[in-house]
Amino acid sequence: MQTKLIQHIYNRAGFGLSPDEWNARKQWSIDQAIDDLFSKAENATKLPDAEAITAVGNSMMSGEERAERRRAEARRVFQLGTDWTMRMGDPDAPALLERITLFWHGHFACESKLSVIATKQLQTLRQYGLGHFRDLLIGISKDPAMIRYLNNQQNKKDSPNENFARELMELFTIGRGHYTENDVKEAARAFTGWSSNLRGEFVFRRRIHDYGPKEFMGRQGNFDGTDIIDILLERRETAYFLTKKIYRYFVSDIPNEGRIRTLATEFYRSDYHIGQLLRRIFRSDWFYDSEIIGQKIKSPVELIAGLVRQLGLTGLDFRAVFGLQKALGQQLFKPPNVAGWPGGKQWIDNATLLLRLNIATAIFRGAELDFNLRPDLEQSQGRNLRGLQAQMVLAPIARILEDIPSESVYEELSQYLLSSPAPPPESYLIDLSLSREQIISRSCLQLMSLPEYQMC
Amino acid sequence: MKRRSFIQTSGLASAAMLTPAFLRAGVRPAASSRQGKILVVIQLSGGNDGLNTIIPYGDDIYYSQRPTLSIPPAEVLTLNDYQGLHPALAPLRELYDLGQLAVLNGVGYPEPDRSHFRSMDIWQTGSGSRQNWSTGWLGRYLDHLPRNQHAYHAIEVDDGLSLAMKGAEQRGFAMGDPNRLRRAVRNPLLPESAHAQVHQQHTVSYLYETLTRTSEAADYLYEKSRIYRSRQPYPPGNFGRDLKQVAELITADTDTQVYYLSLTGFDTHARQLGMHQRLLDQYAKGVSAFVKDLKQNRLFEDVIIMTFSEFGRRLAQNGSGGTDHGTANNVTLIGGDLKRAGLLNAPSSLSHLDRGDLIFDVDFRRLYATLLNRWLDAPADQILMNNFEPLDFI
Repeated sequence: MQTKLIQHIYNRAGFGLSPDEWNARKQWSIDQAIDDLFSKAENATKLPDAEAITAVGNSMMSGEERAERRRAEARRVFQLGTDWTMRMGDPDAPALLERITLFWHGHFACESKLSVIATKQLQTLRQYGLGHFRDLLIGISKDPAMIRYLNNQQNKKDSPNENFARELMELFTIGRGHYTENDVKEAARAFTGWSSNLRGEFVFRRRIHDYGPKEFMGRQGNFDGTDIIDILLERRETAYFLTKKIYRYFVSDIPNEGRIRTLATEFYRSDYHIGQLLRRIFRSDWFYDSEIIGQKIKSPVELIAGLVRQLGLTGLDFRAVFGLQKALGQQLFKPPNVAGWPGGKQWIDNATLLLRLNIATAIFRGAELDFNLRPDLEQSQGRNLRGLQAQMVLAPIARILEDIPSESVYEELSQYLLSSPAPPPESYLIDLSLSREQIISRSCLQLMSLPEYQMC
Repeated sequence: MKRRSFIQTSGLASAAMLTPAFLRAGVRPAASSRQGKILVVIQLSGGNDGLNTIIPYGDDIYYSQRPTLSIPPAEVLTLNDYQGLHPALAPLRELYDLGQLAVLNGVGYPEPDRSHFRSMDIWQTGSGSRQNWSTGWLGRYLDHLPRNQHAYHAIEVDDGLSLAMKGAEQRGFAMGDPNRLRRAVRNPLLPESAHAQVHQQHTVSYLYETLTRTSEAADYLYEKSRIYRSRQPYPPGNFGRDLKQVAELITADTDTQVYYLSLTGFDTHARQLGMHQRLLDQYAKGVSAFVKDLKQNRLFEDVIIMTFSEFGRRLAQNGSGGTDHGTANNVTLIGGDLKRAGLLNAPSSLSHLDRGDLIFDVDFRRLYATLLNRWLDAPADQILMNNFEPLDFI
């Protein structure tokens, strides 16, 4: 039973357990698991900067050259998203840190077309993701990718652009119903001049900043952006809004008001310390209730990362990873809009479900996926996601089955791969004339083709 | 029912003869006969240049702003003394003359967004420019229907599903190709639905339910797709093939009310003339063949085809023989039972512009409200979450 709890926390706080991790940790206590997750996150190294590239396109270039530059740059961003996905699946990487970074990428949903600024944003989310929310929020407000995405470049004293100020309140902090249109206007004035340069660095442009007095949420002063952020953080509604979102992401799609209120109060008192909030959640008894465990649908990126971790996948081409993300509806650095991925049941329609269930066959048997990817709006030709030529290793999985008789392999594997009960094995899987290797491989394939495998 | 008996008794029986015996033996689900009207949505992706589609040939400004991109007056298929069709739309001219084609000018929304992505999002969700919605307008239409609908009540002819077709609870059905879909559901490793019983009140039961519905729908649609073979000359390419598939499904009495298709490649920033001509040619030939199929089977009165794009393009041509992202655009409606047809409203002004772009006259959600209320018999106010005044073409 303890094993299922350890599996649960690694499913939710990370991307599951590799076979070796499972072997080493299944007897651990929950506190040991929490300490492991947090200490790895605290000791994580910073991601390397992206190789600086010259600005994409300039007036000296022909249209074709510019288009080629754009395509090359798009490939770099896909590669960045693929590297990140592989990191999520890597047992040596800090799983909790990658997980919270993925959460913040959905919260501060932002499309980046330039690899330099996409990398910077990822660094910012990782640097502050488990610390105080204020640092994270200021970091993201000064983040070149976000500044571009929400048009704060165009937010000038003489012609304010309200896009960033609006989303700051509606989506990033306090939520609808707790601010007025006038608050949006005044906040936009406070963020005038928060801009970025061609090297992808934050720049404060004095000459277009509005230094005049402002009235925001009933207060008056010569506010700048940081003041606006502090006023928003003083409001308890902000703590509640964020806690609810974190609860829904890490715990359950069905919010529990009582728990959220208690957590939000503590979050507020801790000066919005994200790591403390998560520790508190992972230590709660209710986090391990049967109506919580195995009840969330894995997001596409979580699904891919889990496959990588469990099967030790290597050699996945970025086109395959990116194609899969696109077909399943979660492209890193390209959220559907600033509201992020809605998640939950919204991941599932007839097409995405069938594709999810057919992935294991594509990996184990090299079967064709044959899925036509829709072209982007500015393109005229789509691509076909043919298959997933990846190398996997089953030896580590065989190691978790060392003392298990062949007739129990399926059952034991279902404990490792699923978080809810599996249907009985197909008769051919208990055919003892198969080699042990065949039984393991076929059982894995069978279990990974089940809807239960989509849950965590 | 009348259509089915028509197929069986008419010369089209040859098509029925191609159908395997087990299909003809009457394995149609009991209540399969379609109720109500059919809406076909055609999305022109990339931002169709509406000004070179329905051409304001009577306006000197059009010619002065587009010195090398304009269509000479002699080539325009004139509709009145101001607007006319691009010559590639010749196959649709007859529909206009018969009162089966309507053009709504200047469709858009306040504070237009010139990003493809954002503007398509706005069109597909039916949100305002400052709102970020996660459900589509047709998805919410599905949400509104009674719960016992077939999975294929609304079909998108594509391997993936657009946001337009995703509701909070219900989804449209993505089917790029019935054969491919059938292969995907026939993976022998996919579980039997019986196992779903194990999971009472568990989220995974939702996946089992979706899988069961998908398998049933895949079988049903595969069978339907083999009942009728169109003889019309659809243009080569995906779009023609998709339209043909829809025509065959409709003719086979498939119980589907909404079909969603797209034609891509309209982002004509450079060397627009030839590219746009080929796209419009594909569009017009495809739609013309589609309408002929429907007419031949006496179904045209049950169908409306709406064609839209995420935005129009700028009035002035750019330096690369193309046009850049614009705002308001025309929307075309084709059907056998339009109450009003032809040019429904005044053309957009070419002299009164907003930063070089047309100013919208008709909010696109009024169009949705009309289709929802008067064609699909659904409460537009609830689905669009606001009250939009319907138009009078239905």
